[in-house]
Amino acid sequence: MTLAAPQHRWIDASVDTCEQVNALIAEPVIGRASWRPGRWRNWWVALACAAPFALAFFVGLYWELDQGVGVFGNNTTIVWGFPIANYVWWIGIGNAGTLISALLLLTRQPWRASINRFAEAMTLFSVSIAGIFPIIHLGRPMFFYWLAPYPNVMGLWPQWRSALVWDFWAILSYLLFSVTFWYVGLIPDLATLRDRAHHPLVRKLYGAFALGFRGSAWQWSLHQGLYRTMAGLAVPLVCSVHSIVGLDFAASLMPGWQESLFPPYFVVGAMFSGFAMVIILGALIRHALNLKSLVTDRHFDAMAKITVAAACIMGFGYATEWFMSWYSGERAERSYLAYALTGHYWPLYALMMLGNVFLPQILWFKRARASLPALITVAVGVLMGMWFERILIIWNTLGHGYLPTLWRVFWPTVWDYAVMAGSVGFFITLFLLFVRILPSISMFEVRELAMQERDA
Amino acid sequence: MSRFTLIEATGRPTAAAPAPAPRRALDRREALALMTAGVSLAMAGCGRPHEEIIPYVDQPEGLTPGISQRYATTLPLAGYGRGAMVVANDGRPTKIEGSPKHPFSLGSTDVFAEAEVLSLYDPARLQTAMEGSLPSSWNGLDAALLPRLAQHKRQGGQGLTLLTGRITSPTELRLIKALQAAYPAMSWRRFEPVDDDSVRAGAMRAFGRPLTVRPRLQDAQVVLALDADPLGPGPEQIANARAYAARRKPGEAGFSRWYVAEGGWTLTGANADHRLALRPDAIADVALALAAALDHGGAHPPLTPEAQRFVAAAAADLKADAGRAVVLVGRSQPPEVHALVHVLNAGLKAPVDAHAPVDPHPDGHMASLQATVADLRAGHVQTLIVFGGDPAYAAPAALQVAAAIAKAPFSVHFSEHVNDTSVACQWGAPLSHALESWGDLRAPDGTASLVQPLVRPLYDTRTRAQVLDALAAAAVRPSARDLVCQTWATQDGATGAPRVTNAQSSPAAGASRGPGAGATTATVGLTTPQSGRGASGLDEGDAGIDLNATAFDRFWTQALTDGIVANTAAAITAAPAARASVFQPRPASSSFLLALAPDPTLYDGARAENAWLQECPKPLTAEVWGATLAISPADARAHDLTDGDNVRLSRGGQSVVAPVRVAAGQARGVLSGFIGGGRRQGGPIGSEVGWDFAAVRDVANPWLSAVTLERAPAHGEAPHFQALHRLDGDARELSPEITLAALPGLARSPLEKAPEPPSMLPKAESWAPSWAMVIDAELCIGCNACIVACQSENNVPVVGPHEVARGRDMHWLRIDAYDVGQADEHRPAFQPVPCMQCEHAPCEPVCPVEASIHDHEGLNDQVYNRCIGTRFCQSNCPYKVRRFNYYGYSHDQAYGNMGEESVKAQHNPDVTVRARGVMEKCTYCVQRISQARRTAEKADREIGPHEVVTACQSSCPTQAISFGDLETAASGIADLRKEPRHYALLGDLGTRPRTTYLARVRNMNPALGTAAGEITS
Repeated sequence: MTLAAPQHRWIDASVDTCEQVNALIAEPVIGRASWRPGRWRNWWVALACAAPFALAFFVGLYWELDQGVGVFGNNTTIVWGFPIANYVWWIGIGNAGTLISALLLLTRQPWRASINRFAEAMTLFSVSIAGIFPIIHLGRPMFFYWLAPYPNVMGLWPQWRSALVWDFWAILSYLLFSVTFWYVGLIPDLATLRDRAHHPLVRKLYGAFALGFRGSAWQWSLHQGLYRTMAGLAVPLVCSVHSIVGLDFAASLMPGWQESLFPPYFVVGAMFSGFAMVIILGALIRHALNLKSLVTDRHFDAMAKITVAAACIMGFGYATEWFMSWYSGERAERSYLAYALTGHYWPLYALMMLGNVFLPQILWFKRARASLPALITVAVGVLMGMWFERILIIWNTLGHGYLPTLWRVFWPTVWDYAVMAGSVGFFITLFLLFVRILPSISMFEVRELAMQERDA
Repeated sequence: MSRFTLIEATGRPTAAAPAPAPRRALDRREALALMTAGVSLAMAGCGRPHEEIIPYVDQPEGLTPGISQRYATTLPLAGYGRGAMVVANDGRPTKIEGSPKHPFSLGSTDVFAEAEVLSLYDPARLQTAMEGSLPSSWNGLDAALLPRLAQHKRQGGQGLTLLTGRITSPTELRLIKALQAAYPAMSWRRFEPVDDDSVRAGAMRAFGRPLTVRPRLQDAQVVLALDADPLGPGPEQIANARAYAARRKPGEAGFSRWYVAEGGWTLTGANADHRLALRPDAIADVALALAAALDHGGAHPPLTPEAQRFVAAAAADLKADAGRAVVLVGRSQPPEVHALVHVLNAGLKAPVDAHAPVDPHPDGHMASLQATVADLRAGHVQTLIVFGGDPAYAAPAALQVAAAIAKAPFSVHFSEHVNDTSVACQWGAPLSHALESWGDLRAPDGTASLVQPLVRPLYDTRTRAQVLDALAAAAVRPSARDLVCQTWATQDGATGAPRVTNAQSSPAAGASRGPGAGATTATVGLTTPQSGRGASGLDEGDAGIDLNATAFDRFWTQALTDGIVANTAAAITAAPAARASVFQPRPASSSFLLALAPDPTLYDGARAENAWLQECPKPLTAEVWGATLAISPADARAHDLTDGDNVRLSRGGQSVVAPVRVAAGQARGVLSGFIGGGRRQGGPIGSEVGWDFAAVRDVANPWLSAVTLERAPAHGEAPHFQALHRLDGDARELSPEITLAALPGLARSPLEKAPEPPSMLPKAESWAPSWAMVIDAELCIGCNACIVACQSENNVPVVGPHEVARGRDMHWLRIDAYDVGQADEHRPAFQPVPCMQCEHAPCEPVCPVEASIHDHEGLNDQVYNRCIGTRFCQSNCPYKVRRFNYYGYSHDQAYGNMGEESVKAQHNPDVTVRARGVMEKCTYCVQRISQARRTAEKADREIGPHEVVTACQSSCPTQAISFGDLETAASGIADLRKEPRHYALLGDLGTRPRTTYLARVRNMNPALGTAAGEITS
């Protein structure tokens, strides 16, 4: 397949040696002082902006754990709120990294090499953050481990019919897998950094994590075998994790939730928001680390195409929801639909449609796909739209259920916003730290791609 | 220490507390003395009394730790008594139930009775005598008061005024009579906030003498209520509701038809078959038109076509059912309307009973208070004794009662709480709560019953009888119990005739066993328990009677076990021929009328400190912690008002600002509100909750005041649980209604399209017993007694107004109200919603930790200590009956009185107090089921068909709730589920609920509106 690829399709022609690749990627990490002096100042500025939000996140968590889940805006009818929406949103974003790494690896999409590392890091961080939310959402978070089947004096196991138990396993296995997969992919690059490091302590640190990788043919063979096998495992896992998140809602009795469409629709939605986040992070990394030659316009073009395809599927999903609500003839379903479109939250619903369906349609045009500002605008719109979708699934269904007497409206509290915005700040903080100490682009895979393109 | 807590507890501003003495350094001797005192205190330990105390050696008979006891007693409301059966656990009263033999309880309760138990433990009660804002003592008060009384005695009572509420208690009346004998010139004034002045005046005009006329609703086939609210709150609510229910059961003889003409919504209007919204001052026109239609008079002012049609239809119905038809009229109407209605009822041979008034005070309430104020202003009152009540708050502000009281050289207020009147008086002194008092009360029909204490007074309080007795300033002060014994030993309460022969010996015998004598633990005095449970227990009441006892002892024990004194109801007299009186021409008024009514949950506001009552939703609006003013949609449009907008009501230079709520079905030109809100001195719970309209109340008729209305800035709203939704189209299946005419044709329920929708889940195993509940929606009048009963039984916490405003509440049982009217008509429909206990419960499969599980008796259990609070169960509950502890509502929460020790004593020991982060819900009172099961197992028998009575069921005045075992035919539940009116709420979801309903029935007059097919569902 690579033979068919035209020359220098994915990497700039100026990059044609392995050393160039290594220098481009490793220099910002290893040679901080020498690499474009002053360039890291912006990093500090970014960190200074993100850190207060991260702090707000932890203050919010502390306050919630201390005072109880009552600090959030949830009420008797809308018992779920921001934490669940945040959870679904973050885990959706977390979906894309592994999908890019694994699915594109298996389908031999060579362009993934330039973006998979930071996309995987993104996955790792967002899944970690996502995992916090179901716990703080609990009324008694100290007992979250009761979802695990551990031997206990009560002689009780979890209740396996509950989608939340499936969810517990899905998140846990996905998180463990993401860490492992990411780390396995990092090993050759850690070895490279070890070899390039000047400071003995730094060399020792990278060396310890490189697990003695020396680049022998046997090691490469083992590594590639493991990596590809894991990629094979990853694909069903990616689908399962978000399908199960979808089942949290679909395996219920409530109007607007009880839809067999939810699992695939959630997987696509997850990929959708994940790609949007990758677009934003990719644009930042390429600009900040001066990696235009590795993360090229063609990458963005490819991601834009996926985004517009996903937007169309999302539109189809919404249309199916509307149609089924009407076609079911159920009073509650129709009332739910009318409420979603005209009720208290209709402006959010309109924003969601704009961000998730209509705005991405500009990406049919090549000029829009080539324009990074346009692309970033669409990506931000998608991320917002997807968050609105998550919260509206909860608010509309729970706030407008079967019995009109218990219809209520959700009023978020300052702690809802603090934890939501704080989680974004914490994510950015983690990502900034990642960029600072680890190669944001997979060196060994880009080297391979560069060689292939040079030799093609 | 005690001073500090007292000041905190009474809610007085700390600024009013005495300034602490300036600090100064201790010298060596003081320091040593204090240290020694501290050490000896520490060694003495805490709380042990100085006197010798003796633990149980022999357990008191009938008192087994952990086994609850039931005592019959009587609870006051507006001076009248309602029988109650109080459950005590190890000496703590924890739950109020109805007293089956009492004619105004009939085994049921109302919200006020249910909530009394919380008032008992209210830490904000007045705990000691107060001089101004300084704590004093009874000795201090006696030292100040008794010399004054001695002086009054020398002057023949000149300058002494006793101001009371309504008094029906034979003992209190006896003691007042003794006071009048001792102080012949003393004035006894009487003012009750919910008065019956126009009712009494109307009877006076019609019959020429004071007479109480009460309808027998159980015999009434057609009822026309003119601004009357017999089903509304009050001492007669339970009895009226039961009588109403007797005639609202299809299939039995005579299904009554109710017509109501009223200004704003009342419970009676909400349950009527036909309702006419009308300005209350136009009711007189309707009465005159009715008189004309019933051949009792000539001309009447013209009516609107709608009113004309209504009157014509009602009159025809009344006439057709003469002998079984009755017209009722409310307290807000002028006496001439009452007199006219007496004439009409006489003509209709209406089922009414007439008897001499139970409240013997001859004066009108308002007149009496006005006389008091005039006396105070003129300086005729040297000593003012206010006995209970809160006239300074409850009277129209125009009377300026508080200012008048301040003119008295000496004033004292005996009260359970500090209120406006206490603040106005120089002295305040604490009265015992009814649950810690000996006493007696009469019901509205004259039936006397004894007030029996369940617990020793928690604080240094005196019973009402003790206070009145002390005013006589006699050397001997009998015990609280002896005061009551003396009444009943020397006279028959009704006739004054000697009751028992050996009266001399018995009070002394009684005294030796009284609560003051010898009981060593601070639990119950030797009061007489009701043995057994529920209705069946009554028959065993005689078992405790000692055959060797004196006749009085037998009488006494019988009266206490029965909960009534037999044969004390007022004699029914034949009413003299009624005469109509002249109608005052009504000036055409275009101003707004402020129509006030007693608050459905606070009544006259005296119980505003009770958090259960504050958080009990008002019927229809579901407002809590305050109630807004209802305004008609047309008036709201005219004044550009929407829900929550403030309006200023002005009258005679005074004004009140309160928010409005647009209420469909409200008459134009009327603003409807409740008294009892906006208490200034309502303790930590009840102060500044809601709005007080006293400033604009008309002294001539405080229930109807002409006001001018203008928009006021800002908004205000009472938090509410739900809005009144109109059900249209398919949604009508949520609250179906069948017309009475269509009912006989129904073979089986058309309301259940598929009684058992197909399911992939395995069929629920049917075990015996299989608990199920059927609620007759027709009988639910929306009184909310069940809500408070459930709260009391199941340790359900209050959450407070802020949490309610955030959409959170904890009631396990709610009364859903819908508007099921069509076109221009508005018809509320009530539907109590406890947990449905679904056989295929949607909450169960979604719980990840098996906290929501099904038990073998068909109950859907919630295991609190397993719950981790995912709230998936409530998410997936189509009925949304689960409640989540977002905060620790039961612990240290402001509106739960910060979890003070005394409040904790109310908790039912058989029910877990739930922690923060835990989901809870209706359990069908599983603790009562468990209790019955244990009892049955011990006796090696099955649980009897009516042995388990849930708290909501026992409270219900109309007995709308049936509960029992589906597998036992005798329980009748299975039969109810086969009724043609039977339906399951959201039955087509396949949840197979165990709680199901019987549809409402409407008995329409074909002349008024189209009978809309067989079923309007």
